[in-house]
Amino acid sequence: MTTQMTSPPAVAGPVRKARRAESSYVARVGRPGFAWALPATLFFAVFAIVPLIMVAVLSFMSWNGLGSPEFAGLDNWRRVLDDPVMIKSIWLTLLLTALGVAVQTPLSIVLGVWAAGPQRNRAVLSAIYFIPLLLSSTAVSVLWRALLDPNFGIPAQVTWLFGDGNLFGEQSTAIGVLAFVSTWQFTPFHTLIYQGAARAIPPVLYQAAEIDGAGRYRQFFHITLPQLRTSVITSMIIMIVGGLTTFETVLILTQGGPGTDTTISAYYMYQKAFKGFDFGAGAAIALVLVIAATVVSLIVVRVSGYDKMRSTMEGVS
Amino acid sequence: MKTRARWPRLLACGAALALTVSLSACGSGSGGGGGGDDGKIHILVYGDASNKVEKQIVATFNKTSKVKAVLDTIPGADYQQKLQTIINTPQAPDVFFNWGGGSIKPFVKADLLMPLDDFIKDDPGLKDNFLPSVLSSAVLDGKSYGVPMRGTQPVLLFHNKKVLADAGVRPPKTWDELLAAVKTLKSKGVTPIALGGGDQWPTLMWFEYVYDRVAGPELFRKAVNGDKDAWASADSKKALGMIRDLVEAGAFGTNYDSVKYTNGASPALVARGKAAFELMGSWYYAQQQQDAKDFAEKGLGYTAFPTVPGGKGDPSDIVGNTNNFYSVLKKTKHPEAVEKFLKLMYSDEFVKAQLAIGNLPTTTNTPKFLDTSASPAYARFQYDLVKKAPSFQLSWDQAYPPSANAPIRQAVQQFFNGQLDTDGFIKAMQALPTE
Repeated sequence: MTTQMTSPPAVAGPVRKARRAESSYVARVGRPGFAWALPATLFFAVFAIVPLIMVAVLSFMSWNGLGSPEFAGLDNWRRVLDDPVMIKSIWLTLLLTALGVAVQTPLSIVLGVWAAGPQRNRAVLSAIYFIPLLLSSTAVSVLWRALLDPNFGIPAQVTWLFGDGNLFGEQSTAIGVLAFVSTWQFTPFHTLIYQGAARAIPPVLYQAAEIDGAGRYRQFFHITLPQLRTSVITSMIIMIVGGLTTFETVLILTQGGPGTDTTISAYYMYQKAFKGFDFGAGAAIALVLVIAATVVSLIVVRVSGYDKMRSTMEGVS
Repeated sequence: MKTRARWPRLLACGAALALTVSLSACGSGSGGGGGGDDGKIHILVYGDASNKVEKQIVATFNKTSKVKAVLDTIPGADYQQKLQTIINTPQAPDVFFNWGGGSIKPFVKADLLMPLDDFIKDDPGLKDNFLPSVLSSAVLDGKSYGVPMRGTQPVLLFHNKKVLADAGVRPPKTWDELLAAVKTLKSKGVTPIALGGGDQWPTLMWFEYVYDRVAGPELFRKAVNGDKDAWASADSKKALGMIRDLVEAGAFGTNYDSVKYTNGASPALVARGKAAFELMGSWYYAQQQQDAKDFAEKGLGYTAFPTVPGGKGDPSDIVGNTNNFYSVLKKTKHPEAVEKFLKLMYSDEFVKAQLAIGNLPTTTNTPKFLDTSASPAYARFQYDLVKKAPSFQLSWDQAYPPSANAPIRQAVQQFFNGQLDTDGFIKAMQALPTE
């Protein structure tokens, strides 16, 4: 029923002139024609679908970059799926992604809702807060690696918290650093999503709630949060896909270490394909990653009901 | 209104059309490939500050040669990847920069490189004018594949003179003296040895030296040629035991895995007197000159790696980056021109130019010009070290093929932090690919 909210009222006019007017109205407001999607589709096909197919083919080949690839059957797949480092890397990837979602989501909702308000100094503070978003991941990682140096960085000054500062020498703290740095870097982006979404909530709702005697917390939990539902899912999918494909932070901050303790799948793929010149195995790892990312995104979309596109605007006029 | 709405659609269609056209143009372009013979020889080198000399040498060569040389560079870190992708295509160079050992092994196996033995027969100077310990790291299956270019970079044990003097410690000549120094320094509250464990390869240097001192170069030579039993030998276990002792004595402190060499953190520890020693390649001197000029000139000491009494390795053996090499592709159309070009690698002009930018060439005429180098004493120390060394072991991660690189680095880090014990480390090394 609610789907009707997004399409224009179906009132067919008997006169030709009226129909024309109506069809141009549909063109402007309703779903655009296929031609509109053509550039994006083509772009996606050439830069995503075609390479994906080529990677799939390559995963059944043995190739070190010299000469032509040779058919290797299931050899790469057997090696990759038997590899304890690969199995570990999948768990690490999922763990880092889950950590990212769990930490960043509440943080960015709170910040986003705050940034949507009319307070004084809000604009200045939010502008400062958005700076990390403007830096490249590489710069951010180099910066934090230097800041967290055990002898010359923050840990040397705060020994009661960091001890000997061996943050990159233990698995738990190394993962903690990776999660922290991506939170520092990407929370501003998700804050931006929530800020926009929170601004779009009609003030009528809050006015009505106030008349009903709802306090600030009730307003937040009963109006703001439900209204942000679709944004939460959008932001979560972006986080999950971003988390599963994290690469630069690991490359620069930990190089997969100590040992293989932070070797996530994307980094492992790089190591196999571009450092070890085992392109077949690299392609197989890449494909595992693609499948995992697709499955996780589909689950999120299904579970959240995002695919049904229900409006959050029921009852608002 | 209506005409305005039409514009975006037209634009989109146009863009899509342009996209497909340009893409198909790209597609057909890359297949054909230019390459082939353009009457010149192409020299491909790692792009960095040393290119200054390579440009000069190419210019000298072009003055007299009918076949002209062209210098191509690939910047820094991407070198090996890019080389691997072009070497078997028509865009491949005639002559290219490499690190010898494992870095050219896949190319030799794919039968892409020209053995230089005919050149050497023609001009014995291409062999006799270089130090023998260096040349051997570009010999594969008994054939020479590389002529040294740029400089040698042996690994040395550096120290902070003031820190040692304050603790009453002399630079250690033997392993036991090193252990004693560690103990004394630790009691004075100084980290005995700075280690950039976060980079992993500085950790590897300790294994390279201790293994050579204990077992001699033969053990590793066997291992890298596929003899997996070498890693399980008694000597191998003894070397690992010694490394374990050193780590457990607290020689490296506790947080070395969070310290990096590459961001200047571990050299700073030594320069500021927070640590006493650091084992590093000879480029360390230049690094300290850049980071802490005063310390480099007055406070930085250097020695060879301590000897291990009773060990099978010659006490004057060294490890490190033996040299960079020029290798030649089999399909070059101008082998005579290439040979002439390679002869310049032992010319006086080449040696002088390399010394001037701080590289130490390994030619026999180098001593004549050592006084012209920026730091003559340091250059002479290294040169004598390399000249006297019966064996100069190429860094393990470069002696093995590239696919073994990451597993080696992971294994040494895991042995240091205790995740791998002796047996675990041996197994990890036995699992390394050797071809």
